[in-house]
Amino acid sequence: MGERERDARPLRVGIDIGGTFTDLIAFDERTGALSIGKVLTTPEVPAAGVEIGLAETLSNAGEGPDAIGGIIHGTTLVTNALIERKGATTALLTTKGFRDAVEIRREGRYDLYDLSLEMPSPLAPRRRRLEVDERILADGSILTPLDLAGIPALVARLRAVGAEAVAISLLHAYRNPEHERALGAAVAEAAPELVISLSSEVVAEMHEYERTSTTLANVYVRPLVERYLRELEERLRAGGMGASPLLVMLSSGGTATVETARRFPIRLIESGPAAGALAAAHYGALIGRPNLLSFDMGGTTAKACLIDGGEPIVAADFEVARVYRFKRGSGLPVRVPVIEMIEIGAGGGSIARVDSLGLLKVGPDSAGAEPGPACYGRGGTLPTVTDADLLLGYLDPHFFLGGRMALDGAAAAAAIAPLAAQLGLDPIAAAWGIHQVVNENMAGAARIHAVERGTDSRGRALFAFGGAGPVHAYRVAEILRAPELIVPLGAGVTSALGFLVAPLAFDFVRSYPAPLADLDWDRADGLLMEMAAEGLATLARAGIPAAAITVRRSAELRYRGQGHEVAVPLPDGPLSADSLPSLEEAFAGVYRRLYGRVAEGVPLEAVSWRVVVSGPRPSLDLRAPAGGVTDATLAIKGERPIYLPERGEFVTVPIYDRYALAPGATFAGPAIVEERESTAIIGGGTIRIDEYRNLIVAMPGASDK
Amino acid sequence: MTIPPPAIDPITLEVLWNRLIAVVNEQATALMRTSFTTVVRESGDLSAGVFDRRGNMIAQAVTGTPGHINSMATCIHHFLAVFPREGLRPGDVLITNDPHKTSGQLNDFTVITPIFGRDGRLVAFFGSTCHAIDIGGRGLGADARSIYEEGLFVPIMKWREAGEPNAALVAILRANVREPEQVLGDIHAQEAGNEVGGARLLEFLDEFGLEDLEGLSDEIIARSERAMRVAIAAVPDGVYTNAAYCDGFDKPLRLAVTITKAGDSVHVDWAGTDPESPRGINVVLNYTHAYVTYALKCALCPEVPNNEGSFRPVTVTAPPGSLLNAQPPAPVAGRHVIGHFLPGIIFGALARVIPDRVLAEGAANIWSTQLTGRRQEGGAPWTYVWFSCGGTGARPHSDGLHTTAFPSGVMGVQVESIESLTPVIVHRREITRDSGGAGRFRGGCGQEMEVSSRTDLPWNLGPVFDRTRIPAGGYSGGSAGGRGAIRIAAPDGPTRELVDKSQVALAPGERFTLQLPGGGGFHDPFTRDPAAVLDDVLDEIVSPEAARDRYGVVIDLSNAMVDEVATAALRAKNGR
Repeated sequence: MGERERDARPLRVGIDIGGTFTDLIAFDERTGALSIGKVLTTPEVPAAGVEIGLAETLSNAGEGPDAIGGIIHGTTLVTNALIERKGATTALLTTKGFRDAVEIRREGRYDLYDLSLEMPSPLAPRRRRLEVDERILADGSILTPLDLAGIPALVARLRAVGAEAVAISLLHAYRNPEHERALGAAVAEAAPELVISLSSEVVAEMHEYERTSTTLANVYVRPLVERYLRELEERLRAGGMGASPLLVMLSSGGTATVETARRFPIRLIESGPAAGALAAAHYGALIGRPNLLSFDMGGTTAKACLIDGGEPIVAADFEVARVYRFKRGSGLPVRVPVIEMIEIGAGGGSIARVDSLGLLKVGPDSAGAEPGPACYGRGGTLPTVTDADLLLGYLDPHFFLGGRMALDGAAAAAAIAPLAAQLGLDPIAAAWGIHQVVNENMAGAARIHAVERGTDSRGRALFAFGGAGPVHAYRVAEILRAPELIVPLGAGVTSALGFLVAPLAFDFVRSYPAPLADLDWDRADGLLMEMAAEGLATLARAGIPAAAITVRRSAELRYRGQGHEVAVPLPDGPLSADSLPSLEEAFAGVYRRLYGRVAEGVPLEAVSWRVVVSGPRPSLDLRAPAGGVTDATLAIKGERPIYLPERGEFVTVPIYDRYALAPGATFAGPAIVEERESTAIIGGGTIRIDEYRNLIVAMPGASDK
Repeated sequence: MTIPPPAIDPITLEVLWNRLIAVVNEQATALMRTSFTTVVRESGDLSAGVFDRRGNMIAQAVTGTPGHINSMATCIHHFLAVFPREGLRPGDVLITNDPHKTSGQLNDFTVITPIFGRDGRLVAFFGSTCHAIDIGGRGLGADARSIYEEGLFVPIMKWREAGEPNAALVAILRANVREPEQVLGDIHAQEAGNEVGGARLLEFLDEFGLEDLEGLSDEIIARSERAMRVAIAAVPDGVYTNAAYCDGFDKPLRLAVTITKAGDSVHVDWAGTDPESPRGINVVLNYTHAYVTYALKCALCPEVPNNEGSFRPVTVTAPPGSLLNAQPPAPVAGRHVIGHFLPGIIFGALARVIPDRVLAEGAANIWSTQLTGRRQEGGAPWTYVWFSCGGTGARPHSDGLHTTAFPSGVMGVQVESIESLTPVIVHRREITRDSGGAGRFRGGCGQEMEVSSRTDLPWNLGPVFDRTRIPAGGYSGGSAGGRGAIRIAAPDGPTRELVDKSQVALAPGERFTLQLPGGGGFHDPFTRDPAAVLDDVLDEIVSPEAARDRYGVVIDLSNAMVDEVATAALRAKNGR
């Protein structure tokens, strides 16, 4: 935006609607100041909570609605609708003989030994999965033409089963979408009240189970998301903010216009966590740490995300709404670009127990918010991570959530005592065990996440946020041998900040499998150009000038016969047979990094072609608020004993007031640093406050490991 | 339970253990991602694990199938008998497909990589077993009359010596299998997996300052053994027997078990089982053992790690020369079709003492469909195998699962994959109505697949299928599931049903239909919640007639409701 416009409408607002709270953050382009709002989510009419939160945030910023120059918005609406099964009454239209692809799944079990496991039931039950006479083959040729004459009967059946939304997913439609398009158009014409999604538009990739599952999920949430976005726009208009462009955060880390979000709502699925990763990337770039591991720990889960060269990594699929003990494999698969992170059932509420081997296990069962950990005093009696943290002195019973909630130490001790007896340990050793095991679980998950990306978690700074993140981060950093730990100011709303740095972007993918040696380069080129053109048009409609748009292209390649691909970036400009050697070389480089070897002499094949079209990354010129002291001793507000494992005992350490520490302050650990929404426990090393008021801990001995 | 003082404290042990599991999961991930076949990467027909330097299996990846996992656990001792530890050097890789020493068929290659520490000392072995897409011979099927017809037999050999490939073996393999690129490619993937696992293990040892895995291994194995014994001790002492029939190659064969549970150990004996079959469905003892230990673990203590320790309290015998302890040169390629019956038979015996912890009988065996033929253009030979699954048995407290593998851990392949890789068309693939055994909890349903070829050349079907004669039984008053069948239809001609496991030559225009069996039900079907029956009827999982006859539930189809009055009357008439 132009300078004048920026001055007239200086506020950019990020809004994150979570399950419990709606977090808002407003950034003032002129002053670099941030204002924060936090209100309860209003699940029935989420837009109502947004309206209240906006009023609060604007009042904190001392501005009126006309100061807002843009709103970027993320929501757990899609995830929750899928978990709670609150979407539309959805039907499936599919190729005759194949209505059970979503129920047959991949025929496997995700746990070899557990006889009581459960599978996710499809979003469209069998009675709403209808078949169409048509058939396309793997090469795109038509075996049976689409039976257009049967459509009136089909529409009658759709109405009879009460369908509101319809997924159309035909066999091999990723290769030839002709039948899906014709069927979609005919059904839309005959039944304009139905919301329709085509698999070839939602995810044009091979494998009928995942493609159909994704298309079903997309259309299942569409009516809900459309209604919600409409309400939001109306309320914003009524509140005098109708002129501000409204963008929606996607799971890929880009943002999209409301129009795109309405068509592909499944792309919104993990937008909150994605924003957290973007915020970490932004801070990393700001302070010269482009390679980071972001670590977000809340009440029930922890998430880790690898940031490489200032960018989080985007994966091609995700699993939502797991039905059995958070187990991988028990959820619905969706193929959408999503910032890749690993999520495990480890949070403040995770319950500790002794297993049949006599070993201490923590999670994935969680006490949740109700009854919550024993120390919440709401009837919980099982030992949780928060109870252990309290016993170890890491939490102040009188300053939890800034003092808004008192914690009951006796209840925590009572919950841990039986566990300690079972382990033959004293209660403090057991509490430390819980703390250590949950840290190990998180570090282990982060390490595998790194390995799956063909990189190493060591040598990276750890960037910690979320309610429980800063309590555990120091020890997690130790396990991961991170040289440095970074805890941003306001770790509780870090995710919302991520919305403000997300570029307008959209991802496209097309399947065109072929051996590289006899690839039709013109065809590949055509696909890439088609996708880029679609992206450019979408962004142009959102007002982004062509010169500011970046197009990134990649090919998914593999050795002929393999089933997993490696993404290889494509050079700019048209492709031709001359591109072959450089592609082969690029592939070999990536493959060797991942698997330590290459398969000599095996020809390569391409599977699919990807294009990411993005607008400029918004700048966010953060400036720290004024005030505070650089002499850290003046920021000490008290002291309390905490358990230090290297000493094997409780040691009394100073408590620093986070808000009183000015840039430039330095002090040594062990120390406690408290702010309203979180407490950082620093076991050692040296700590400094940087110019953005981040807490930067140089881990002890980091350089000689 | 009380725990004796540990050599390593329980928290450190948990940390180390967790880390080791992560290492083997990385091994398996690398293997699957570099594999060249859908059998490995989509079906997951593999196992991967780590052994200490003495050859004790400690940990294995959370993937794979019991027939590989548990048989791999014991194989390393055979390797060490041929190549003693002292003679192994960095860069050595060992291989075999000896059915009696590994997992019971020539198609399975086991690849073992010794791992050496920074000081050059042997610290561990990584191993994996994968199903090769082809091993020559007749192609995977039950047709052979001796193992010599089943393909290339690779005794325990070096695949690589000090990093150098065994060129002779590579050349022999290349010349003997139908899809050399895929077969060699998957061995490459197995090596890559072992290598990734080894590298991570060394980092792990470094980080914790461990010289080797022995201390950790002893502790984990001892604890696993103790936990397994505690679980066994909780079952009342006694002798529990059961017997069942499978289709056999061309006539039903009897499988009989006697489980003797005394104190904290179990002996499982298969005396009374029929003798070896002259055709390739025989099971080696190693494979029998694998499915016995698997079944006991599922029923008694699913959470205990699967390793040397959890095997120790269980002993397994079967008469030599019987179907479950085949002796060379008996043919064995289709051993899984029989082996997969064993957990169901063991559950049947245990159902008398622990009915709440077992499944009713299910489809049991995965069906492997091996196709061979020639491409239309150029006539190049092609071969492809996929697995498909029927329904699992109902559980004591919930329905069985449709089209889900049990006890095998493999997965199926999607139709778009099959059609992209082969010249066949799958015309339909759907769940079979009324194939789930009736019960208060219904058995899972089977499925049907109808397949033809796109070429006008002859092609060949190698069927390794079972439960076409004897359906999966229900427990505690539940009914049997639907039986399986394979039908072949000529264009506009008659349909014939296969009656044995012989390979079948198919004419160009012929279609075959696989009808996979369903699982048995659990408890009396007349006590099933009528609302659940209504749901099944509306979803066309159960027909209205079956709802009435099998469940005593009358459905008013025009209003999509249960006819409560008629249902009560019908159920009362039957005394329930």
